[in-house]
Formats: sequence, structure tokens, C-alpha cells
Amino acid sequence: MTFWQILQVLATGAGFTILVTAASMSAGLLIGLAAAMLSRIRWKPVQHLLVAFTFVFRGIPVLVLLFIVFFGLPSIGIRVPPFLSMVLTLGLISGAYLAEIFRGAMNSVNLDEILAAEAMGMTRAQGFLYIMLPQMFRFSIPGMINEFTSVLKYTPFAYTVGIPEIMKQAMSLTPMIMRGLEVYLAVGIIYFVIYKLCLMCFTALEKRYRIPGLSAD
Amino acid sequence: MALIEVNNLVKQFDDKIVLKEVNLALDEGQVKVIMGPSGCGKSTLLRCLNLLDPPTSGRIVFKGEEITRPGVDVRKLRQSIGFVFQNFALYRHLTVLDNVTLALKKIKKMTARKATEKASYELERVGMFEHRDKYPAQLSGGQKQRAAIVRALAMDPAVLFLDEPTSSLDPQMSREVVSVINKLYLDNVTMFCVTHDAFLAKYISDSVVFMDEGVILAEEIAERLFYDHPDPRIRQFYLGVIDMK
Amino acid sequence: MTGMNAFIHDLIAYSPQILTGLKNTMLLMGIISVTGFFGGIAVFYLTLSSRKTCRIITEKYISFFIGTPLLVHLFLMYYGLPELGVRISPLTVSVIGFTLNVSAYNARYLMTAFHGLDRMELEAARAEGFTPLEIFCLIILPQTLRRAVPSLTNQVIQNLKDTSVAFLIQYNDFFSQIQEVASTNFEFFKAYVTAGLVYLALVSVIVVLSRRLEKRIALPGF
Repeated sequence: MTFWQILQVLATGAGFTILVTAASMSAGLLIGLAAAMLSRIRWKPVQHLLVAFTFVFRGIPVLVLLFIVFFGLPSIGIRVPPFLSMVLTLGLISGAYLAEIFRGAMNSVNLDEILAAEAMGMTRAQGFLYIMLPQMFRFSIPGMINEFTSVLKYTPFAYTVGIPEIMKQAMSLTPMIMRGLEVYLAVGIIYFVIYKLCLMCFTALEKRYRIPGLSAD
Repeated sequence: MALIEVNNLVKQFDDKIVLKEVNLALDEGQVKVIMGPSGCGKSTLLRCLNLLDPPTSGRIVFKGEEITRPGVDVRKLRQSIGFVFQNFALYRHLTVLDNVTLALKKIKKMTARKATEKASYELERVGMFEHRDKYPAQLSGGQKQRAAIVRALAMDPAVLFLDEPTSSLDPQMSREVVSVINKLYLDNVTMFCVTHDAFLAKYISDSVVFMDEGVILAEEIAERLFYDHPDPRIRQFYLGVIDMK
Repeated sequence: MTGMNAFIHDLIAYSPQILTGLKNTMLLMGIISVTGFFGGIAVFYLTLSSRKTCRIITEKYISFFIGTPLLVHLFLMYYGLPELGVRISPLTVSVIGFTLNVSAYNARYLMTAFHGLDRMELEAARAEGFTPLEIFCLIILPQTLRRAVPSLTNQVIQNLKDTSVAFLIQYNDFFSQIQEVASTNFEFFKAYVTAGLVYLALVSVIVVLSRRLEKRIALPGF
């Protein structure tokens, strides 16, 4: 088996890797956005809940949360399928980080602009939707890219719950051909290629939608 | 009948009374400039009039309707009052054109084409049409304020409020903005303008209201306030303004 | 409630093992936090090199380790190296793998901090006749380290959490011992939640310590 063939076998798992990453990141964005929006509600119980949420999901190791969800929940009668376990785990954890990123980005938005929108007769919801959100997303881009990278790098854990992604392919291939060095080198290369490709897409998107005077740094 | 009529307006923040029983009226087509030292309550007055800061007590009548009573449609009121801010408050993520059309599309429910037509016409009026595709960060201060004025004007408001429209600008750009406001004055746009700028006050006002410590001290045509007014506080203020120039 | 009592009983019965695991977790975290810290400074130094090839290689190194999963590096060494006759213990594999990773991240934080530095200060130092190494140690490092403290302490928290990965290469860390308990009494949920709570408690300790550190090293104007 040549190195090229090894790459090909492993690449069959890349689809799952990308799927897990995309689904987890989407879940994370939704959760993060919801948490960031809730954080604007100045009601004590909500604030406490959000503090607890970020503390727990930023503090718990990915693997521990994954095991709680996949192996733990069934013992109290809740069975979560592998893919959902992975997405839930990474979604909650990246959601907690993204909530902080979004909150910081919201603080960079000039409140006078929101006031101007309201002075023209816009509702608070309109001001949020048309002024706050578009600017907030632009300020969040570097943070979102970091978080995406982080999610991608945690996807190999999916093998522990039996999702046939790259790592799982590598683990079943290694004992067959007894060439772990090459196999894991190939895994590294595939991940790096995925990472670089995604990064290129993001940078291109960011350039395309860049607005003078509105970037995170 | 006056367009805006203010009776015994009081505004209190915590335990500080900023406006003490202010009485004021603005007729259609009239331009009034409000002047006075910093912290005299003149900006608060503007913000009370479109209910950005709700008044503590008193009565405001706008187009014959009392807007200080509960249950008034604040958004509808604000749609008929254009507001121009000292620091422009342009939406940084939108081009000049989109800054103007956003409210036309989302509040006035115009189609994109109609909104663009309307915005282009208004931008042309103040010489900003060529800059329509630029973002706020790419504009000079004077251009930003002209764009902000157009954004307010495009809504066809019954009255335009200007809150220190020239005070974050250097003299050159300030003149640029004054000439635009002067043009509106000549076009009979009804305006309420708060300013420190004696030059602006002189060129655009039908009358000047002088405020100090939340009270209106005098209301006269500019010349009579500027030159040798009997009230020493007003004399002192204008001496200070002229010194600054 | 009896289930809970039985579970606690099991935890106590296994406490020597669990404590050993906890000790191993702390050991690994301690080592990699220190090696990663110094490694980060070294890598950061190389990014400032006057030689272009050196800078490019360093950038590639950082980019590679930030772009690929730690688990792959660990597996590569743990399952791959024996084929070359090199057999190293899980702890050594973990220390090497983590150090390479953490150094890349720390170097990146220092680079970000460096970008916020006033270039005129460096010019001034050069004008005064300091050598590049002296400028690095006396001017650049004290400032970038200070600015990077929040990121660097965050990385320590990240280190603690990520050590749980090491059990996948048979390192006897805290999480692996909790698994042992769980696999004997089948109380997976309770066992893993307990593990989670312990990690959260340890994270809180690091957070408190790093707040203190931040206060202690704060300088006016920073």
C-alpha cells in the first residue's frame, strides 16, 4: 500500500469530519448567539444562568462532556445517538466560547448608531437586526475562525463514540497494514489540508465582505 | 397654529433638574437656534421633544396632538422628526446610500428602487451623490455630517432637529455643513438647532433662544442677542464664543 | 438515594487510584504548562529572527500545530514510533506532544501582544546600543508577557482540560481512573459528572490564581 493509497482510504472519513465540524459549529453559533442576546437582558436570574452556562461549558473538557452525553445519559435512561452526542458536546462548548466573543463584539458597536436608528422611528428589534447584528458579526470574525479551528481539532474524539471519521479510519487501518507512522502522518496532513482550505475560504469571504473602518483590530 | 408647542416642560435626572418649566413654540417653516453654555439643558430639550428622553412633566403638542400623554405612538412621532447628531452616528457597516435608504425601506416600506431614487435625489441636493458608495470611514467629517443630514431629510420629516451639528468639525468642514443647513433654511425646512456656533446661528436662524441652567433667558433675532444684550449672562456668553473663534 | 450512597462508597473504595490519577493529571498539566511557556517564548523569539527562512519555518511550525489535532500528534508518536524501534512512555509522548502544541499557541499569543507594542521603544533601545538579544529580554519580553497574561493563563486552563486526552494513549490520568470506577459499577453518568465537577473545581482554582497574578504584575498604564 503506497502512501497515496493510505491518504485515499483515510479521506473517506473526511466527509464525516467536515459534517461533524459544520454541524457542531452551526449549533455553537446558534447557542452562542442566543446566549449573547440573552446577556442583554438585565434580569438577575438570566445573568446568573448565563454565568453558570459559560463557566460550566468553558471549564469542562470536551472528552468528559462527550462521555457524559454518550455513555452517561443512557444510564439515566436518555439515549443520544453518536452524531448528536458529538454535535451537542462541541456545540455547547463552542457556544459558550462564542457567546463571550459575541458579547465582546457587541460592546464594540457604537450605541449612538442604535440611538440614531431609534430616533428615526425604528423599533428596538429593528435596530438590533439592521445595525447591531451586522456589525457584531464583522467584529467577531477572528474569534469565530479561532473557534472553528478549535472545533475541527476536537472532531477526532468522534471516533470514541464510533463515528467513521478520519481518526476512526486510521485506527482500523493501522493494525491491518502495521504502518502507524505513515497512517497518522497522513491523518495530520489531511487535517492540515482541511484547515488550510477552510481558512482560505474564510479569508476570501472576509475580504469580500470587508468594510473600511469596521474590522476587529 | 404652531407645529411644536412646549408648555412648562420639566426634565429631571435623579435629583438634578435639567429643564425648569420651559415654554417654547416653533411654527412651520420657522428655524430656531437654541444656544447657551455647556450643560444648560439645550441638548436635553431636543431629546425630550422626540421622547428619546421622556420628560418628567409638562406638555408637548406636536401637529396639534399632545405627545406627552401616555399611549402615544412614539415611533410614528419620531418618523416625522429628523434628528442629526453631533457625532454623525452614521451606520458604519453601510454605504452612504444604504445609510439613507435603510429607514426608507424598513420604516417607510418603500421598494428598493423607490428608496434609491429618493435617496439619490436628496444626496444630490447636498452634493453627496458622488460619494454614495463610500463607507462612513472613507468620508471627511463634513461629508459624514452632510450624509447624516440627508439620512434625516429623506424621511420627509415635518421638522429637522440638529444637535450641535458642527461642533465635532474643524472650521473648514464646519463651513461646508453650515452652507448645507443654510440651503435648507432658504428652502423653508422647519428646523430646531442646538449649537455653540455663533456663525451657524447667525446664518440659519429666524430667531435665537438663549438658555442657561434649564431656563430660557431670552428669545430674539440673532443680531439683537449677539450685540450688547442687556442681560450680563448673555453678554458674557457671546464674548466667550467670539474669543474662541 | 441508596444508589448515590453506593456510588460514593465506590469512589471511596477507589480513592487511592483516583488520587494517583489526579496526581498524574496535575503532573502532566504542570510539566506542559512550564515547558509550553518557555517553548512559547523560544518560538516567539524565532518569529522575530532577522533571517527570513527562520521566520518562515517558525510560522509554518505554528500554523501546523494550530491547524492539526493534538490527538493525531500523540497517536503518531505512541502508535507510529515503535515501528522505528522507538518506544516511549505515555507520559513522555504526552509531554512532547503537548509541549509542541502549547508552545505554538503561546508563541501566537506573544506575537499578538507584540503587535500592540510601541515600535518607537524598540528604536530607542537600538539607538541606545542594546544588542537584539538584550532588546528581546529587557524590552520586548517583559511587555509582551504582561500583555499576554490573560491568554497565557487561559492556556493553562486549556492544558488542564486537554490532559484528559492523554488517557486515550493509556496515560493513567484522573479521567482514566474515573473510567475504571465507572466500568466496575456501571454508574457512567454519576462517574463522568463527578469527573466534570472535579475539572470545574480545578479550573476555578487556576482562575483565582491567575487573577492574583494579573493584579500582582499589573503596571500603571498597561
